[in-house]
Amino acid sequence: MHETREALLKRLESAARQVRRNVWRALRAGGSGHAGGSCSAADILAALYFHRLRVRPGEPDWPERDRFVLSKGHANAALGAVLAQAGFIDDAVLDRFYGLESPFGMHPDIKVPGVEMCTGALGHGLAVAMGMALGARIQKQAFHTFVMLGDGELHEGSNWEAAMAASHYRLANLTAIVDHNKISQSGPVAEIVGIDPLADKWRAFGWEVREIDGHDMEDVVDTLDALPLHPDRPTALIAHTVKGKGVSFAENTYLWHSNNVNDDIYERALGELGEP
Amino acid sequence: MSAAATGSTDWRTRAAKQTRLAFGQALLEIGAREPRAVVVSADTQDLLGIRPYIERYRDRFVEVGIAEQNAIGAAAGLATTGLRPYVCAYAPFITARSMEQVRNDVAYANQRVVIGAAASGISLGVAGGTHHALEDLALMRSLPNMTVIVPADVDEAYQATLATLDIDGPVYLRLGGRVEEPAVSEADAPLRLGRAVQLRSGRDIAVIACGALVEMAVRASDALRREGIGARVLNMHTIKPLDRDAILTAAAETRGIVTAEEHHLAGGLGGAVAEILAVERPTRMRMVGMPDTFAMVGPTVPLRAKYGMSAEAIADACRALLGVG
Repeated sequence: MHETREALLKRLESAARQVRRNVWRALRAGGSGHAGGSCSAADILAALYFHRLRVRPGEPDWPERDRFVLSKGHANAALGAVLAQAGFIDDAVLDRFYGLESPFGMHPDIKVPGVEMCTGALGHGLAVAMGMALGARIQKQAFHTFVMLGDGELHEGSNWEAAMAASHYRLANLTAIVDHNKISQSGPVAEIVGIDPLADKWRAFGWEVREIDGHDMEDVVDTLDALPLHPDRPTALIAHTVKGKGVSFAENTYLWHSNNVNDDIYERALGELGEP
Repeated sequence: MSAAATGSTDWRTRAAKQTRLAFGQALLEIGAREPRAVVVSADTQDLLGIRPYIERYRDRFVEVGIAEQNAIGAAAGLATTGLRPYVCAYAPFITARSMEQVRNDVAYANQRVVIGAAASGISLGVAGGTHHALEDLALMRSLPNMTVIVPADVDEAYQATLATLDIDGPVYLRLGGRVEEPAVSEADAPLRLGRAVQLRSGRDIAVIACGALVEMAVRASDALRREGIGARVLNMHTIKPLDRDAILTAAAETRGIVTAEEHHLAGGLGGAVAEILAVERPTRMRMVGMPDTFAMVGPTVPLRAKYGMSAEAIADACRALLGVG
């Protein structure tokens, strides 16, 4: 039966709530972690994995799959959540976050089904994703490559090497999503080293740019459905988000870039998030 | 065009006696043999002599410009899609500058990326210390999954490049600069990875060398022979995985080991040999290589001699270890 637009959005919003619940669950299991950047990314990740990406959880190495690289790898709890919810990995993995021999540590590992690259050292994912997009072109494959970047991550100069080359090669099969939550590890990105005007920077590097509300599922879905935004250019989506979105005490503060999570904090977080 | 059409005489003429150009010529043969091969350049088209490859396989070529971090990251991404990237780069820049990309995207992720690293050691002597690569072996051999190869001459460079087709993991292939390296290896002999080649026999002492120092080791051995000293020479073209059997046998059958390389004495071939011997068969050693200093500017050949990388220095190290002369 065809899913109505309204039903789709409701399903994705519910999935995103579940992602956030699973993020806090994983961080409690691990005792600490990156709640802020995981929760700012949750809606976009839900839209990607449960709507946009052509992937096969039972066949994670399917050659024609769309690629998603989480360059801001510290949001691995959110990636683990979507991979578990999508069926790439066993849901119980989320209760063994950081555990000895757990497939999931603080940052993504390519050995985990559904993870496309070892990331988290910042400034790596865009170049790797560009290589994937070039690989698709060389082998005449139709898959699309997505990469999610942090805004603070854009301080790393290697991003701009890749940004320059990706537009040179007119990689319309590449989309970079900036999770623009405006807060880095030590404070507001604008105070650490300002990155504005951000959209103009990407445009100057030859990308097609759209700014979206990264927590408005309709905006996210409409934009992902419209890709590529230009037939000859890679797309940069600047997603305005809230660090720690969904849990009041974790929102908009660098203190929750990474923090300890005990049972009490977990219960309070889940109470605010509500049922999926 | 078939592999045979590249013709050994043809490539040898074009490559002169420079290992960096032999790599570029071998890529032509790889392009024919491996349809998944793709060459990545960091504005290094002439450095590694890849223009003939580009002409023939333009659709399997990526130029990223002067951007080594991007070259390695993109190569890793290409490799994840099933392609077999060959990165053409300057040794000093592709190792030190993009070390984190090599470590994470290539070695940790265990991708089949081959790095052809020209201008290693002090082969760009006149370019100065900014352009020398005297720590690259230390960096590359410390990475799990990485294979590290140092060809001694153009034949070995060509064969080593072909040998990478069978390596299921990342490879660092160390190449020279504009200095011509005399031939020491057997022409057209397939390179057996991880197996040292014995070029001179001898039971008094053994010289384990790589790269440009192999030919010097041979000359040192010949000079010592005239003095009645039998100096075995092992061409240790593969630094990782290291041929431990050849090292342990040499240690057992001689009175000491001298290592020789165009690399800092810390962390290179000498260190790798010492790591094995210290644990498995403590053996008296001397190491020939670059001391703990940045090299001054100068033409490569006299610069090597200036810092003790010469046939004479190797022979002296052998005599000193044996307590003669």
